[in-house]
Amino acid sequence: MNRYEMIYIIDTGLEETARKELIEKVSGLITANGGEIEKVDETWGKRRLAYAIDYKTEGWYVLVTFQAPAELPRELERNLQINENVLRYLVVKLVEKRSAVKPRAVRPAPVEEAPAEEAVPAEAVTEAVAEAVEAAPETDAE
Amino acid sequence: MSEDRGERRPRPRGGRRPRRKVCAFCVDKIEYIDYKDINRLRRFTNERGKILPRRMSGNCAKHQRQLSEAIKRARAIALMPYTVE
Repeated sequence: MNRYEMIYIIDTGLEETARKELIEKVSGLITANGGEIEKVDETWGKRRLAYAIDYKTEGWYVLVTFQAPAELPRELERNLQINENVLRYLVVKLVEKRSAVKPRAVRPAPVEEAPAEEAVPAEAVTEAVAEAVEAAPETDAE
Repeated sequence: MSEDRGERRPRPRGGRRPRRKVCAFCVDKIEYIDYKDINRLRRFTNERGKILPRRMSGNCAKHQRQLSEAIKRARAIALMPYTVE
Protein backbone atom coordinates (compact mmCIF):
# COMPACT_ATOMS: atom_id res chain seq x y z
CA MET A 1 0.00 0.00 0.00
CA ASN A 2 1.20 3.44 -0.92
CA ARG A 3 -0.16 6.82 -0.07
CA TYR A 4 -1.36 8.85 -3.00
CA GLU A 5 -2.79 12.24 -3.55
CA MET A 6 -5.04 13.00 -6.45
CA ILE A 7 -6.35 16.26 -7.80
CA TYR A 8 -8.95 16.36 -10.50
CA ILE A 9 -10.85 19.17 -12.11
CA ILE A 10 -14.55 18.82 -12.85
CA ASP A 11 -16.33 20.86 -15.48
CA THR A 12 -18.24 23.69 -13.78
CA GLY A 13 -21.02 23.26 -16.33
CA LEU A 14 -22.04 20.21 -14.32
CA GLU A 15 -24.76 20.98 -11.77
CA GLU A 16 -24.25 20.21 -8.11
CA THR A 17 -26.07 16.89 -7.90
CA ALA A 18 -24.24 15.51 -10.91
CA ARG A 19 -20.96 16.75 -9.49
CA LYS A 20 -21.60 15.05 -6.15
CA GLU A 21 -22.44 11.90 -8.04
CA LEU A 22 -19.19 12.06 -9.97
CA ILE A 23 -17.15 12.56 -6.80
CA GLU A 24 -18.94 9.59 -5.25
CA LYS A 25 -18.21 7.53 -8.33
CA VAL A 26 -14.49 8.31 -8.22
CA SER A 27 -14.35 7.57 -4.50
CA GLY A 28 -16.19 4.33 -5.10
CA LEU A 29 -13.68 3.42 -7.76
CA ILE A 30 -10.84 3.73 -5.27
CA THR A 31 -12.50 1.64 -2.57
CA ALA A 32 -13.69 -0.97 -5.06
CA ASN A 33 -10.12 -1.60 -6.20
CA GLY A 34 -8.69 -2.14 -2.75
CA GLY A 35 -7.91 1.46 -1.88
CA GLU A 36 -8.71 3.30 1.28
CA ILE A 37 -9.78 6.93 1.19
CA GLU A 38 -8.29 9.18 3.83
CA LYS A 39 -9.80 12.48 2.85
CA VAL A 40 -11.86 14.10 0.12
CA ASP A 41 -11.19 17.79 0.10
CA GLU A 42 -13.41 20.16 -1.83
CA THR A 43 -12.34 23.33 -0.10
CA TRP A 44 -10.81 24.74 -3.26
CA GLY A 45 -14.05 24.33 -5.11
CA LYS A 46 -14.52 26.57 -8.09
CA ARG A 47 -11.28 28.06 -9.21
CA ARG A 48 -9.99 30.00 -12.17
CA LEU A 49 -7.76 27.90 -14.38
CA ALA A 50 -4.32 29.26 -15.16
CA TYR A 51 -5.02 28.61 -18.82
CA ALA A 52 -8.10 27.62 -20.77
CA ILE A 53 -8.84 23.90 -21.10
CA ASP A 54 -11.34 23.16 -23.87
CA TYR A 55 -12.21 26.88 -23.90
CA LYS A 56 -13.17 26.69 -20.22
CA THR A 57 -11.67 29.17 -17.81
CA GLU A 58 -13.02 27.72 -14.57
CA GLY A 59 -12.99 24.35 -12.94
CA TRP A 60 -14.09 22.60 -9.78
CA TYR A 61 -11.05 21.26 -7.94
CA VAL A 62 -11.28 18.11 -5.84
CA LEU A 63 -8.37 16.85 -3.79
CA VAL A 64 -8.34 13.24 -2.60
CA THR A 65 -5.77 11.53 -0.42
CA PHE A 66 -5.89 7.77 -0.26
CA GLN A 67 -3.93 4.62 0.37
CA ALA A 68 -3.89 2.08 -2.38
CA PRO A 69 -1.94 -0.77 -3.92
CA ALA A 70 0.43 0.25 -6.68
CA GLU A 71 -1.81 -0.93 -9.53
CA LEU A 72 -4.70 1.33 -8.60
CA PRO A 73 -3.52 4.69 -10.02
CA ARG A 74 -3.33 3.26 -13.52
CA GLU A 75 -6.89 1.97 -13.36
CA LEU A 76 -8.03 5.24 -11.80
CA GLU A 77 -6.37 7.31 -14.49
CA ARG A 78 -7.90 5.18 -17.21
CA ASN A 79 -11.37 5.89 -15.84
CA LEU A 80 -10.75 9.60 -15.37
CA GLN A 81 -9.47 9.80 -18.93
CA ILE A 82 -12.74 8.36 -20.21
CA ASN A 83 -14.97 10.71 -18.25
CA GLU A 84 -15.43 13.89 -20.23
CA ASN A 85 -16.56 15.94 -17.24
CA VAL A 86 -13.09 15.59 -15.76
CA LEU A 87 -10.94 18.24 -17.38
CA ARG A 88 -7.65 17.28 -15.77
CA TYR A 89 -6.34 14.91 -13.14
CA LEU A 90 -3.05 14.35 -11.39
CA VAL A 91 -2.15 11.41 -9.18
CA VAL A 92 0.96 11.87 -7.09
CA LYS A 93 2.59 9.45 -4.71
CA LEU A 94 3.13 11.11 -1.37
CA VAL A 95 6.57 11.32 0.12
CA GLU A 96 6.58 9.88 3.60
CA LYS A 97 8.75 12.50 5.20
CA ARG A 98 6.91 15.70 4.45
CA SER A 99 6.41 18.83 6.41
CA ALA A 100 3.72 21.43 6.06
CA VAL A 101 4.59 25.07 5.56
CA LYS A 102 6.01 26.17 8.85
CA PRO A 103 7.15 29.56 10.07
CA ARG A 104 10.83 30.10 10.02
CA ALA A 105 12.34 28.19 12.91
CA VAL A 106 14.56 29.84 15.45
CA ARG A 107 18.11 28.76 14.96
CA PRO A 108 18.88 26.13 17.60
CA ALA A 109 21.69 26.75 20.06
CA PRO A 110 25.00 25.13 19.11
CA VAL A 111 24.42 21.93 21.06
CA GLU A 112 26.47 19.87 18.66
CA GLU A 113 29.73 21.13 20.08
CA ALA A 114 29.59 19.55 23.52
CA PRO A 115 28.52 15.97 22.67
CA ALA A 116 30.92 15.80 19.71
CA GLU A 117 33.83 16.68 21.91
CA GLU A 118 32.81 14.23 24.55
CA ALA A 119 31.99 11.39 22.21
CA VAL A 120 35.35 11.04 20.56
CA PRO A 121 37.56 11.00 23.64
CA ALA A 122 35.07 8.74 25.43
CA GLU A 123 35.94 5.81 23.20
CA ALA A 124 39.63 6.45 23.42
CA VAL A 125 39.41 6.86 27.17
CA THR A 126 37.62 3.58 27.77
CA GLU A 127 40.34 1.72 25.93
CA ALA A 128 43.05 3.54 27.78
CA VAL A 129 41.21 3.08 31.05
CA ALA A 130 41.35 -0.69 30.83
CA GLU A 131 45.12 -0.56 30.77
CA ALA A 132 45.71 2.34 33.13
CA VAL A 133 43.10 2.04 35.86
CA GLU A 134 45.57 2.19 38.68
CA ALA A 135 47.70 4.86 37.06
CA ALA A 136 45.02 7.56 36.64
CA PRO A 137 41.67 6.84 38.33
CA GLU A 138 40.46 10.49 38.03
CA THR A 139 40.39 10.66 34.24
CA ASP A 140 37.71 8.03 33.74
CA ALA A 141 35.32 9.55 36.26
CA GLU A 142 32.87 10.68 33.54
CA MET B 1 35.78 31.81 -6.78
CA SER B 2 32.83 30.43 -4.85
CA GLU B 3 31.75 33.94 -3.89
CA ASP B 4 31.05 34.77 -7.52
CA ARG B 5 28.66 31.90 -8.10
CA GLY B 6 25.01 32.74 -8.24
CA GLU B 7 25.57 36.39 -9.08
CA ARG B 8 24.20 38.11 -12.12
CA ARG B 9 25.15 41.70 -11.36
CA PRO B 10 28.63 42.92 -11.93
CA ARG B 11 30.45 43.58 -8.70
CA PRO B 12 29.74 47.12 -7.54
CA ARG B 13 32.67 49.46 -7.43
CA GLY B 14 34.40 50.08 -4.13
CA GLY B 15 35.28 46.44 -3.43
CA ARG B 16 32.01 45.57 -1.73
CA ARG B 17 30.86 42.15 -2.84
CA PRO B 18 27.16 41.50 -3.53
CA ARG B 19 25.69 39.33 -0.84
CA ARG B 20 25.72 35.61 -1.56
CA LYS B 21 22.16 34.38 -2.06
CA VAL B 22 20.93 31.54 0.11
CA CYS B 23 18.36 28.93 -0.75
CA ALA B 24 14.93 30.12 0.40
CA PHE B 25 13.79 26.55 1.02
CA CYS B 26 16.79 25.69 3.17
CA VAL B 27 16.18 28.82 5.23
CA ASP B 28 12.52 27.90 5.75
CA LYS B 29 13.49 24.26 6.43
CA ILE B 30 11.14 22.85 3.82
CA GLU B 31 11.55 19.14 3.17
CA TYR B 32 8.91 18.78 0.51
CA ILE B 33 7.97 21.48 -1.95
CA ASP B 34 4.23 21.22 -2.43
CA TYR B 35 2.93 21.77 -5.94
CA LYS B 36 -0.29 23.13 -4.46
CA ASP B 37 1.49 25.98 -2.70
CA ILE B 38 1.35 28.24 -5.74
CA ASN B 39 1.99 31.48 -3.90
CA ARG B 40 5.39 30.18 -2.95
CA LEU B 41 6.07 28.69 -6.34
CA ARG B 42 5.08 31.83 -8.17
CA ARG B 43 8.01 33.69 -6.68
CA PHE B 44 10.34 31.42 -8.62
CA THR B 45 8.89 32.13 -12.03
CA ASN B 46 9.30 35.25 -14.09
CA GLU B 47 6.41 37.29 -15.43
CA ARG B 48 6.24 35.05 -18.46
CA GLY B 49 5.75 32.02 -16.25
CA LYS B 50 9.19 30.57 -16.82
CA ILE B 51 11.12 28.91 -14.01
CA LEU B 52 13.94 31.10 -12.77
CA PRO B 53 17.42 29.62 -13.03
CA ARG B 54 19.38 28.89 -9.91
CA ARG B 55 21.70 31.81 -10.50
CA MET B 56 18.70 34.12 -10.14
CA SER B 57 16.82 32.39 -7.35
CA GLY B 58 19.87 31.32 -5.36
CA ASN B 59 18.36 27.93 -4.60
CA CYS B 60 20.49 24.93 -3.77
CA ALA B 61 20.57 22.10 -6.31
CA LYS B 62 18.39 19.79 -4.24
CA HIS B 63 15.62 22.31 -3.80
CA GLN B 64 15.84 23.59 -7.35
CA ARG B 65 15.15 20.07 -8.59
CA GLN B 66 12.18 19.73 -6.28
CA LEU B 67 10.97 23.19 -7.22
CA SER B 68 11.02 22.56 -10.94
CA GLU B 69 9.13 19.30 -10.41
CA ALA B 70 6.54 21.10 -8.28
CA ILE B 71 6.07 23.90 -10.80
CA LYS B 72 5.64 21.41 -13.62
CA ARG B 73 3.01 19.53 -11.63
CA ALA B 74 1.21 22.77 -10.86
CA ARG B 75 1.21 23.58 -14.57
CA ALA B 76 -0.24 20.21 -15.47
CA ILE B 77 -3.38 20.81 -13.41
CA ALA B 78 -3.77 24.44 -14.44
CA LEU B 79 -2.71 25.95 -11.14
CA MET B 80 0.12 27.78 -12.86
CA PRO B 81 0.44 28.89 -16.45
CA TYR B 82 2.80 27.29 -18.91
CA THR B 83 3.22 30.65 -20.52
CA VAL B 84 1.96 34.18 -20.02
CA GLU B 85 1.55 36.43 -23.01
